[in-house]
Amino acid sequence: MNIFAGCDVGSLTAKAVIMKNNRIIGSSIIKSKPRPKDSADAAFHEALSDAGVSEDEIKYCIGTGYGREKIEFVDEVVSEITCHGKGARWMLPTAETVIDIGGQDCKTMKIDKDGNVGRFSANDKCASGTGRFLEVMAKVLNVGIDELGRLSQKAKDPITLASTCTVWAQADVIKYINSGVPIEDIGAGINSAMAARVAILVNAVKPEGDIFMTGGVAKNVGVVSTLEKLIGKRIKRARKADPQIAGAIGAALLSMEKVNGKMAA
Amino acid sequence: MRPEIKEYNYDWLMGHAVAAAAKVPAGMQKETELTLRYIPNFRGVAESFINAGPPGIQFMGLLAKYYENILAARDQGKMIVGTTFCNTPAILYAMDIVPATFEVLTAIGCLIWKRGMFDYMDYCCEVGMPETSCSSQRGFLGAYLAGLCEKIDFVICDTPGVCDTNANAFAFASAYLDKPFFQLNYPSSIGDDRSQTYHIDDYKAMIRFIEKQCGKKLDYDRLAEILKEIDKQDALTADMEDMLMLVPTPIPPIFNVIIYASRFCFAGHKIYTEILETMVETSKQRVAAGVPGSASGEEKLRAFMCYIDHYTVDMNFYDYLEERGVAHTGSILTRNFRDDNKYVQDLEGSSYGIDTSTPDAMLDSIAQMNARYPMVRSIRGPYDKHGMWLEESLALAKMYNADCILYNGTPGCRNTWGMIKPFARDMEKYGYPTHIMNDDAFDDRVESWDATKERLDEFFHVRGLL
Amino acid sequence: MKIFNDAATQVQCESITQWKKEGKPVVGYTCSYAPAEIFYAADILPVRLRGIETEGMEVADTYFGPFICSFPKCILQLAGKGKFSFLDGAIITPGCDGMRRLDECWRKAGEDFDGIVPDYFYYFDVPHKSENHGMAWYIEEVKELIKSLENHFNVSITNEKLKTAIKVFNKGRRILKEIEDLRGKDDVVVSGTDVFAATVAGTVIPRDEYTKELKKWATALKKRKTSLSKEKKRVMLVGSVSDEIDLFQLIENTDKAIIVGENLCFGIRYQGNEISEDGDPLESLAAHYLGASVCPRMFGKYKERLKILKDRIDHTKAEGVIMQNIRFCDLHGAENALFERDLEAIGIPCLRVEREYGPHIDAGRMKLRINAFLERIDAKSDQKSTEPLSVSA
Repeated sequence: MNIFAGCDVGSLTAKAVIMKNNRIIGSSIIKSKPRPKDSADAAFHEALSDAGVSEDEIKYCIGTGYGREKIEFVDEVVSEITCHGKGARWMLPTAETVIDIGGQDCKTMKIDKDGNVGRFSANDKCASGTGRFLEVMAKVLNVGIDELGRLSQKAKDPITLASTCTVWAQADVIKYINSGVPIEDIGAGINSAMAARVAILVNAVKPEGDIFMTGGVAKNVGVVSTLEKLIGKRIKRARKADPQIAGAIGAALLSMEKVNGKMAA
Repeated sequence: MRPEIKEYNYDWLMGHAVAAAAKVPAGMQKETELTLRYIPNFRGVAESFINAGPPGIQFMGLLAKYYENILAARDQGKMIVGTTFCNTPAILYAMDIVPATFEVLTAIGCLIWKRGMFDYMDYCCEVGMPETSCSSQRGFLGAYLAGLCEKIDFVICDTPGVCDTNANAFAFASAYLDKPFFQLNYPSSIGDDRSQTYHIDDYKAMIRFIEKQCGKKLDYDRLAEILKEIDKQDALTADMEDMLMLVPTPIPPIFNVIIYASRFCFAGHKIYTEILETMVETSKQRVAAGVPGSASGEEKLRAFMCYIDHYTVDMNFYDYLEERGVAHTGSILTRNFRDDNKYVQDLEGSSYGIDTSTPDAMLDSIAQMNARYPMVRSIRGPYDKHGMWLEESLALAKMYNADCILYNGTPGCRNTWGMIKPFARDMEKYGYPTHIMNDDAFDDRVESWDATKERLDEFFHVRGLL
Repeated sequence: MKIFNDAATQVQCESITQWKKEGKPVVGYTCSYAPAEIFYAADILPVRLRGIETEGMEVADTYFGPFICSFPKCILQLAGKGKFSFLDGAIITPGCDGMRRLDECWRKAGEDFDGIVPDYFYYFDVPHKSENHGMAWYIEEVKELIKSLENHFNVSITNEKLKTAIKVFNKGRRILKEIEDLRGKDDVVVSGTDVFAATVAGTVIPRDEYTKELKKWATALKKRKTSLSKEKKRVMLVGSVSDEIDLFQLIENTDKAIIVGENLCFGIRYQGNEISEDGDPLESLAAHYLGASVCPRMFGKYKERLKILKDRIDHTKAEGVIMQNIRFCDLHGAENALFERDLEAIGIPCLRVEREYGPHIDAGRMKLRINAFLERIDAKSDQKSTEPLSVSA
């Protein structure tokens, strides 16, 4: 059987994808557990049961993400930048620039027609342009991470968040909450601050062609729409799969390439 | 950078905004009030300067003139040089070159651009400058690198050895756009024979470089005229300094920025002399009438800024000092270290004199003056060595009867952040409550003005100053 | 190799301890502008100061502000913890804003922690230009330093002794150059980690002993047959100051890369160049230490440095360049961006990454970027090998 798997263990979530004949037959997204190994096992087994296949049927599996070194069942590990490039091109076959915002990292990459990554840039050690930033802020606002994105659309007079440093910004947000500023306006300010950070990285690689966004933050409409304004280009959506599992898809595709050669993929 | 911003020529935009603002106070009071309604974005700044009286209004005219020069340079066949605030423009004016001073241009942008200079600062990061580099250059530099400004013919900086981060921004600009570059370089000491000789050798090398770039020789008669004007300006500034020492001082906080910003833009030009004359006149009148400089009408506290001021959005900082009744007794940028100034008498080797008798004397004067420009003079060597930051700050704080010391800078200032903690500790040992402000003078995103203000209030309160 | 590894990974290695046992002085210096030869001439052991083995930052954070590079902070932290108690002297150079403030911060920490400032504490003022008066200033500075060493340590540093020192150091420089040539071969028999450890060791071990050990090692290397570069990407490592063997290991332990060259403050860029043995020794030292400096603190020399880097890439046949800067190192950060722009334009893949120094490095983050970069070079070389085929098809 030509069944392949990809497993992406990130700092906030773990994702797994099972693919057969270039199609997704099972997938999973779970919240990361303290130990990456446990996250990988749980995500992988959930995806297997979603696909209705057993572990033995998997011909090859590639692991990626922060916890990739700790996954026991994979045949090989590949960096998530490479996986996201691959996965993005599969999800949107015209994509040339990919923005991926993960829990601890934000990267922008140029990809070729095969989804191979060319020039890329990644954030510095600060958490300010990452999913972690949004998570911390959502917690302060006491809203879900998904709801945070939608707040932008309801905002009437978005605040300007002075600092994009996670620590400083948190203090500012608390101050706004205490002074009675509507939560929508604060949320919108948070999303804009995040988008501004990401825009620097995106512009640094000089985006060309279709731009596609992967990672959980791609689902935050507030961030995406502000980012579009800042870079002056549309960010394409793809309905083929959840952008959060792009890395896992890329890993599964690379598994397939590994066994079948490039043509088969 | 967002695409719509790239649609506007930055110099043109700023130049015209400043020119328009300078015309606002020209009408009747009612007309002025009406016009202000049409400039909501920089109404705050314009009002601050208009409220400062004639010197403030003249200062807006000076900024307009500064931009006018930059915008007209091409048509007038003049070259434009990118340079830094602590390099005297006098030598450039003597050679008919128009200076584009990065930090001044960033500060102007910060004051009047609605969102601050964020878009331009971030553009520098987009092309690869580290986000940790100093915001004082990154604002204007972003616009310049994006091709939104008048073309610069070459770049000169005088900060290597003083502030390498500053020098690095200029070196980057030159390499990025492939423009000729010259660095004046300062040793870590001042006042000794070796350093004095080095200052002159290096300055001469700079003049040779400029002569080569513009294909003409330095006109010493012209230089003499400019230096004589500087002589006058220094004397007027000394008068201002004398009045700053009075308790209460008749000098409002905003006059400080006018003194140094004008010097950075137009040292040696009549337009600066005229502003100083008006300031001296206004201040003398206040002394005679017994009116303190602060708008609140009361001087509750005397603060000495041991480094620079805070420039973001709407002159917030100066207005805050006014409201609280805090006298601003100057910053590192305000002083000029002319040899007959009171505060230099105890600081051996720290001063310069102006002698226009021979070309050599002139070169000597301008080189030694430049070596004593703000920051260049006292931030070069270890802060506790002779002639450096601690000695200077203590002498000034004492002379100006300061009640406390405030440090404000930018996170890009590797130089002062490398020594501010022990420096502040030493100042405290000498009895000066010292507050380290954590914000960025040019970028509100580092710390919001509200947070900065709260911390200042907290400091004044906890230390029992206000 | 063991002696090199020990010296490169320990602040106080065995040879320093041995030297101290003989009752001879040790002087630390912070920057590559300090000519080690003059210490040799005075029978003083020069030791380049480093920040490895740092745990915590509480001492450094007391004196340095928050926006300072972690390299000088780590040195101060070690000083505060008494790890440099073997020093009889220290020389601070204004290599950059952060490094020159080590002068104040170290002295001020000495007011709070007894005995952490060596008796001999000297500020060595290096200009930012090497033309005429810059060169003259530097020579003058070296003379002053010599005078001060003579006075404090009661030694005599003559021109004859300096000439001998230059000759002794040159021996080692020549061997390093031979090793460097091995790294340019198609089959590289030595890892970048080992060469770098040997280079760093040269800033710590007494020179005579070092030259002897280096010679032994180089002879052994020349006999090696096993290629370490097969199936691996050849990369160069450039940027901010580094003496971190683990950074090299981090890259080479991916098993996908071999470091064939570096342009780092502790690397071969200095050790490899010989110093003129003729003429005035002070002028020869100045021509080397100041005149041949490739540090971005020598402002306005970007084009010269780009050319040197390109030559090194050619010489080492590097397929990609990893450019790192320690956070708050604006000089290398900005220059890396220019290098990246100009090298990518001629088809050399570059990875630009910001990091913390030494023990504070975030290995996971770095690894992710390095792996992705190596995969990128891999995809690029795959394409190269398939391209002609698709043309003929």
